[in-house]
Amino acid sequence: MSHPITSRRRSLVIYILVWFLIFAINAAIIYFLQGFAVKIAIADSFISNFVFAVVGLLAWYPTRYIPYQQSSPVYSIMAHIVAGLLVILVWLTVTVGLLTTLHYGNDLYKDFLNRTLFWRGVVGSLFYLVLVLVFYLVVYAKNLKERAQAEERLKTLVRESELNVLKSQINPHFLFNSLNSISSLTMSSPDEAHKMIIRLSDLLRYSLKNRENEFVTLEEEIGRMQDYLAIEKIRFGEKLRYNLSVPQSCKKIELPTMILQPLIENAIKHGVYESVDPVDIEFNCVMHTDFLELSIVNDYDPDQPPSRGTGLGLQNVTQRILLAYEGKGHVDAKGENGKYNVRIFIPVKKAKKP
Amino acid sequence: MKKIGAIIIEDEKPARDLIKKFMEDREELELLGEYDNGFSGLKATHELEPDVLFLDVQMPKLNGFELIELLDCAPEIIFTTAYDQYAIKAFEQNAVDYLLKPFSKERFNEGVDRLLVRLEQGSGKKTTEKIRKHLSDSEELLNRVVIKKSGKIHVVAVSDIQYLEAQDDYVMIYTQQGRFLKQQTMKYYEKHLDSDQFIRVHRSFIVNVQVIERIEPYEKTNYILLLADGNKVPVSRSGMQVLKDKLDF
Repeated sequence: MSHPITSRRRSLVIYILVWFLIFAINAAIIYFLQGFAVKIAIADSFISNFVFAVVGLLAWYPTRYIPYQQSSPVYSIMAHIVAGLLVILVWLTVTVGLLTTLHYGNDLYKDFLNRTLFWRGVVGSLFYLVLVLVFYLVVYAKNLKERAQAEERLKTLVRESELNVLKSQINPHFLFNSLNSISSLTMSSPDEAHKMIIRLSDLLRYSLKNRENEFVTLEEEIGRMQDYLAIEKIRFGEKLRYNLSVPQSCKKIELPTMILQPLIENAIKHGVYESVDPVDIEFNCVMHTDFLELSIVNDYDPDQPPSRGTGLGLQNVTQRILLAYEGKGHVDAKGENGKYNVRIFIPVKKAKKP
Repeated sequence: MKKIGAIIIEDEKPARDLIKKFMEDREELELLGEYDNGFSGLKATHELEPDVLFLDVQMPKLNGFELIELLDCAPEIIFTTAYDQYAIKAFEQNAVDYLLKPFSKERFNEGVDRLLVRLEQGSGKKTTEKIRKHLSDSEELLNRVVIKKSGKIHVVAVSDIQYLEAQDDYVMIYTQQGRFLKQQTMKYYEKHLDSDQFIRVHRSFIVNVQVIERIEPYEKTNYILLLADGNKVPVSRSGMQVLKDKLDF
């Protein structure tokens, strides 16, 4: 943060004008009330006030580097007293020194200088206090603005991730290919076509819930993923094998809807789409003492360069888990020995709905 | 009358069944074979020399476009695809036909009728060329490169490429798995490789910045790159400028 007065032309002008006003009042007091010559009144007022105007700018630095909220108030106050005394000392030495040298042979004035030394100190301290307060106000206003901006940024981030959630619904590629399979089955085996339409409808209806960011039981989520995989199974036949088993203890756990869908989709995209050999997809759920571990494992060919992939699905799930469990859940993915393993860890105490 | 030989290359069985079913009513067509991935489809195309391929775009091993890149012959192509906005939309309907899944029997027949006209004109070569040109004109970045070397097909991840060297009408691609000669232009790779990772340091060289070990002065005004595997690549003056900009030194 740069100096609020010297770095901006407008504030510098205002600052100088204020000091001119103080200078004029001060000179008038010395001339009219103390009865010194105009020359002396102007010299005294000019030197005292404008030297202070320059030295006082230094008060910014203790204000800037002793943030009020972060350290204890006693510490801040002590630091300001020390800094203030230093500033006043420098100021008094310079002004009184200069004015004594310049005393124009007037002993009465010299006497006046000595007499008012204490009061000059008091007035200087007041000036210093006012400056520090002004500077603190500047810092406060700036912090306030920054905090508002940070909040705005955070809000945009959340909104964006919500939009991504919407985007991560059923992939149109999947939809059209499934419809194509159904169109084929209507001729070869109408019963299968009928079942597939029901499954596809259940899955679509379920995916619409995603919009409200609801929580569902693991049992329901897995049920719909069974539909999803059953449809893919019709497309890919023996190439796709899967096992989604949910132990009784996990069934009633709640989690955000469609959180597994992008991961299953990835397993198919990087496993089944890219392979000519059968690919196994396995889901597991393990209950630990205070968290739940969900995992999806699929075979993949690590030597096969990806034809197209963005990693958006995984990114999405990670973000949603972070948001839904307020940073207490996380996702971890790794591939080794031809198996790709994505694990989701969520706290067992049911999380607050976002 | 000689029948029109067709091959279906498509990884989903129901989708293949549907095309077969529609083909039954078109007596001009004769099915020579059906394949569920790009590798076997490419091999069969070379062996059976069909007049037309019903070709899916998204497939394991080799996708439909990569298959066309590697073709030695020039059959007519009818793409069958569900949703491939960037790859398909630029084709003119008459130049290359594509059936958007799911498609009706009428649409299929329309495609076959158009195919008959094209076969009459003998435009197969033009079709494959058009597809290749379209692919090289597209703005899409490559994720992998497919190369034929002594009868075998290699699929190389772009991240495995160390550098490329121009050799007349060819480009030599140096990778961790060895080097491969590919009929292509440097300009093509300059355009289709991520320009943050691959830099044209010389008229004849494109280098993967991740394998650069050192930059050393060479003769008076030139520089030379020392790569992680010990190879050396010359840098031109303008190449040096690009390197400086990209690597920020």
